[in-house]
Amino acid sequence: MSKLKDNLKSKGAVISAKTGTKESIIDFLKKAMDKGVFDAVLIPMRVPAGDSFAYVLIKDKSLLKDSFPLPPVMSVQGAKAVSSLTRLGKGNMKIATVMRPCETRATIELTKLGQTNLENITLISMDCPGVLPISDFLDDPNKGMKLFNDAAKKWDDEIMRPVCQICDKSSMVAGDIHIGTLGAKKDTFFIISNSQKGNDALEKLDIKLKENIDSWQAKIKDISEEKQKKRKKAHNDLKSEIGGLDNLLDTFSRCINCHNCMKVCPICYCRLCYFDSDKVKHPSEDYLQRAESKGSIRFLPDTLLFQTGRMMHMSHSCVSCGACEDACPVSIPVAQIFSMIADETQGLFDYVSGRDIEEPLPLVAYKEEELHEMEDAND
Amino acid sequence: MTKVLKINKSTEQGILDLLKFLLEKGKVKGIFTLKKINKDGSVAYSLIAKPDELKYAVPFYPLMPVNAGKLLSRFSLKGSSSKPVAAVVRPCELRGFIELVKREQGSLENIFFISSTCGGVYPIDKSVDGTVEKNLSKYWDAVKKGELPAELRPACRSCEEFIPYAADMTVDLIGNNIDKQCMIFLNTKNGEELTKGMDGELLEKEINKEKIDKFRSKRGAEKKKLFDELDVKMDGMDGLIKIFGKCIGCHGCMRVCPICYCKLCEFESPDSEYKPSNYESDLKKRGGLRVPPGTIYFQLGRLSHISISCVSCGACDDVCPVDIPVAMIFKKVGESVQKMFDYIPGKDVEEDIPLVTFEKEEFAEVEE
Amino acid sequence: MERKIGVYICECGPNIAEKVDIDKVIDAVSSIDGVAVAEKFKLLCSSDGKKFLTDQIKKQGLTHLVISACSPKDHEKTFMEVCENAGINPYLFQLANIREQCAWVTEDKAEATKKAIRLTKAAIKRVRYHTSLEKKEIEGIPDVLVIGGGIAGIEASLQLVSSDRKIYLVEKTSSLGGLITNFEKIYPGMGSGSSIIKQKIQDVNKKENIKVFLNSEVEEVIGFFGNFEVKIKKITEEGEIAEFNVGAVVLATGSTLFDPKKTPQYGYGKFDDVLTSLEFEKMNLSGEISLKTGKPPKSAAIVHCVGRNEKGYCSEICCMYSLKFVRYLKDKLPNIKVSNFYSDLCIPGKSHQKFYEQTKGNNVNFVRSSEIEITKKGEKLDINYKDETGGKNNIPVDMVILAPAIEPTSDAPKLAEITSISQGNGGFFAEEHEKINPVSTSTEGVYIVGSDQGPKDIPATMIQAEAATGKILSSLIPGRKIEPEVKTSQISESLCIGCKLCLSVCSYGAITFDETKKISVVNEVICRGCGNCVAACPSGAASIKHFNFNQLYQEIMEAVQ
Repeated sequence: MSKLKDNLKSKGAVISAKTGTKESIIDFLKKAMDKGVFDAVLIPMRVPAGDSFAYVLIKDKSLLKDSFPLPPVMSVQGAKAVSSLTRLGKGNMKIATVMRPCETRATIELTKLGQTNLENITLISMDCPGVLPISDFLDDPNKGMKLFNDAAKKWDDEIMRPVCQICDKSSMVAGDIHIGTLGAKKDTFFIISNSQKGNDALEKLDIKLKENIDSWQAKIKDISEEKQKKRKKAHNDLKSEIGGLDNLLDTFSRCINCHNCMKVCPICYCRLCYFDSDKVKHPSEDYLQRAESKGSIRFLPDTLLFQTGRMMHMSHSCVSCGACEDACPVSIPVAQIFSMIADETQGLFDYVSGRDIEEPLPLVAYKEEELHEMEDAND
Repeated sequence: MTKVLKINKSTEQGILDLLKFLLEKGKVKGIFTLKKINKDGSVAYSLIAKPDELKYAVPFYPLMPVNAGKLLSRFSLKGSSSKPVAAVVRPCELRGFIELVKREQGSLENIFFISSTCGGVYPIDKSVDGTVEKNLSKYWDAVKKGELPAELRPACRSCEEFIPYAADMTVDLIGNNIDKQCMIFLNTKNGEELTKGMDGELLEKEINKEKIDKFRSKRGAEKKKLFDELDVKMDGMDGLIKIFGKCIGCHGCMRVCPICYCKLCEFESPDSEYKPSNYESDLKKRGGLRVPPGTIYFQLGRLSHISISCVSCGACDDVCPVDIPVAMIFKKVGESVQKMFDYIPGKDVEEDIPLVTFEKEEFAEVEE
Repeated sequence: MERKIGVYICECGPNIAEKVDIDKVIDAVSSIDGVAVAEKFKLLCSSDGKKFLTDQIKKQGLTHLVISACSPKDHEKTFMEVCENAGINPYLFQLANIREQCAWVTEDKAEATKKAIRLTKAAIKRVRYHTSLEKKEIEGIPDVLVIGGGIAGIEASLQLVSSDRKIYLVEKTSSLGGLITNFEKIYPGMGSGSSIIKQKIQDVNKKENIKVFLNSEVEEVIGFFGNFEVKIKKITEEGEIAEFNVGAVVLATGSTLFDPKKTPQYGYGKFDDVLTSLEFEKMNLSGEISLKTGKPPKSAAIVHCVGRNEKGYCSEICCMYSLKFVRYLKDKLPNIKVSNFYSDLCIPGKSHQKFYEQTKGNNVNFVRSSEIEITKKGEKLDINYKDETGGKNNIPVDMVILAPAIEPTSDAPKLAEITSISQGNGGFFAEEHEKINPVSTSTEGVYIVGSDQGPKDIPATMIQAEAATGKILSSLIPGRKIEPEVKTSQISESLCIGCKLCLSVCSYGAITFDETKKISVVNEVICRGCGNCVAACPSGAASIKHFNFNQLYQEIMEAVQ
């Protein structure tokens, strides 16, 4: 981390939240739009039927009061929304995005992959208590809302997505500005800057970064450590469940190849997925030959090829958001599996997806002093 | 009058015997059917080449993990089947395949179709929580009695096209004494050829019209009920926004639909991408814009592209992560479009797709 | 048009016939759909064999050719020529290796035959999916870029230049000459170093076809042997850019000295009158050897092997020039006491031992030592050391001259990246092979000459300059055409989504990014068909001609089924 970043993150601002955290955040955004710091804000809002949430690019400030900085469900992964806005270049509007840390991290990964342009975007994240599996919410949206709010107050993750329950990066600061609700005194929250862009925006709002944020740092450290323990255990359990080809085949046996997981994944950016392309379409002789030699083959075959192939293509940038698992129609624990694998593949390169926009993608960065154990012994 | 092969065994056993016969006698080199693919009992379509593997086959298991029409299209996309195969499929799957064949997305050559009077399938999430296995005997009881089993896909509960049109063989399930007998209607010469040499009585029969009409009216009543519910929700643009509001744009419905065959969907192509200038100009007229845009646009677009051929199989419903009643919506719109042209998708491979067929004496009322 | 595949199995004398039952192979393949004929022949690469193939192609009206024989490395070109001469596109041909990969790796005849059948069938399957490809021809550029205007670069330029070959000589400082300009004398002959180089510089300036760029740096080298696109930038405020094309690149950027500040025990930078060898050469060339105070030194120490432990190698030339320094000192200050502190004396070569013997003399000390530490004692510098017996000693002197290790220049990593070559031991440019290919690099057309390849003296540098010259003269002949790679990559415009992963892994700079369409584009002239882009592209938008997915998939599926 550069020295600038370290300096920026050692102090923050304390913002009053007497009217409520959500209301105060919205107030902050409104003030920023008033002062022209932002021309528009990308933030979730409730859909007209009230049964879900969607990202809305708000230009009319009066709509802000109906927005939800931290909705109970993640219907569309925020990074996909940012990519939709800026893939074809930066716009003229200065836009602030309000997303969860994993969505912010995914946005950073997509930027490295040329799918997002952050020039006029200010990324704002906040401490995240997790998010409900969407099917649980849809059963009864009002109940879901209440359950989520209660759980968020206590930072209790029992009802959240399985990967949220073991997420140790729920307060990771990857964007420009971070809202720290944890460890803050009653009726306040912290605002922390992580970049020059964040610094400049806050300066324009007369928000001075002079306060001590030790209590936030201590609290998020505690939570992260606790989650890491849970994560380790969960991964060990999962390994024994899916380890080995037979177990893997069983785990994915009910996969119907709908590719929902790939489609909702923020990192899967290919216009036409390799596994939807001509490359996996073969003439009948091939299938018949395979069936002949094995006695029978599942049709369409190669389900595991799609899953492991997707793992291979995206695990270095996986942010463990869990969108894939929500979208799976046959309840395969896709996110838990991919997240575990991602820990390993990223760990190989000491890489954390979305941590630092300057950090090059491991698969296309050559470092001479790396992975010597894989090289020829005679070298 | 149709030739019927009557096997004096349970229908389940009769079918398995038929499939075994076809493979052992070399009449086909492969069989497409549902199969239990692992010890946990997951059911998936398989291409079976060796008779031994048939012991895991579950031909009319009430589950449709994938629309088999789509699978047959993939099988014969890069050239017609090099060897004769038999496919055990539901009427809507067969119709879906025929609609694809009309669009050069598959070939009928060398494929023989074994279908049934169809009792319907369960939504796929019911297989995950074990409901299907638990309710299996209740399901067959209902089918035997000509009744509607509970908890099936809405598309199945309301389906009136439960008799296949283009199958070589139709296994009569509905209202049939399936515990004691297996009735296989041999609709085509191929059907007769394939079964020549099989143990069983050869009869001449028609499917019991009364029984069929009674069943159809039950299904019709369900359809009316479901359509009425939908009418209330889908009222005008506001209604569409309400019902599709929670759509997350995963396009799963498109991907599992047998009729959606494009290599790269229009709504995933560069044509559908918004430039920053598009957002900026849209925001001049409105205070806020949903991102990514085009939620309803996609649904309406897909409706306009495929509704003429929608076979109401309900695969789209199963795959939707946010429980939008896609199948019923598409069924409703599909049926009304198809009615305009007096068209039943998948009935006859020789019948051209209406949207690309010009008939002079048609729609005079919309002309000048 | 109907496909007619001709399949021919070569007996290769006894090499294949003895191990593989060729008749069985022919039986196994003749009835395959599309195979018009399957026959064997004694030796297909012989003139009889080639005639046989040509006749067969014409007689049978073949559209595709499959040969099962030796390694493609041996005769793929041969048979491709046969195809071309007989009227079949040479890429509608596949060679199955049933010799090196089959007959020659087993004693088991049955196994060899089974494998030969699989390999032949796989080749037949694959060839079905081949498409005709046309070769391209471009003019090979005879001109050469020489980076570095020291003795190595100058020598290479002078040797290479001719009326039909231009040399672009790029030097980052304001004058040519390099290190030698500082040497009053060069060992062992003790002739003038600076006047030799002055003469060479004059020769360069006389040659019209050597274009010299002073105060300039190389920004970009893109392309391949026979056709490099070069960008040079002037190191001034305006930074003018010059662009030109060359056929080969010679890296002659020389070396620099290890910074003795990194080894504080020698007192460099701490005390006055502790000099590096280069500083001493400059002082000596100016005519006067003196201390900071202005007085001449009465005693001097020359410390060899400074930084040797840190770098991990011996820099070859320092012992000899240290002996030269003794001569410098004695010539100008006859009564000076000189002590040489060394760990090993490195003086190979036919005249160097004599040079050493003649340097020893009165008031010249050679001390084998270790653990040297230099401190200040009053007005003098104190050399504390451990002698050969391990005993501690010290010698006070007026002046200390350090002989630091030779290391690559600071711009070596940048130049290595620009020319796509590697850095080897010590960070010096890596030669293609240490023993048998010492001036070529892993990039065809890029040569390394002089001490940028490793510490060396002037004779060795001259030899390398001539070696590189020889290689270039024999391969880059003016007027000769170059055939760039036919089997290049192509990126589907409709599938590419602009993530640039392919660009990051292209070693040849053959991929550029179209900002308007937001897609990656392959330059087919530069592309070498290595396939990195295909492997990196997650969506399969990139594919290699003649090695596309289907071709490989069909071949593998047939071979393993």
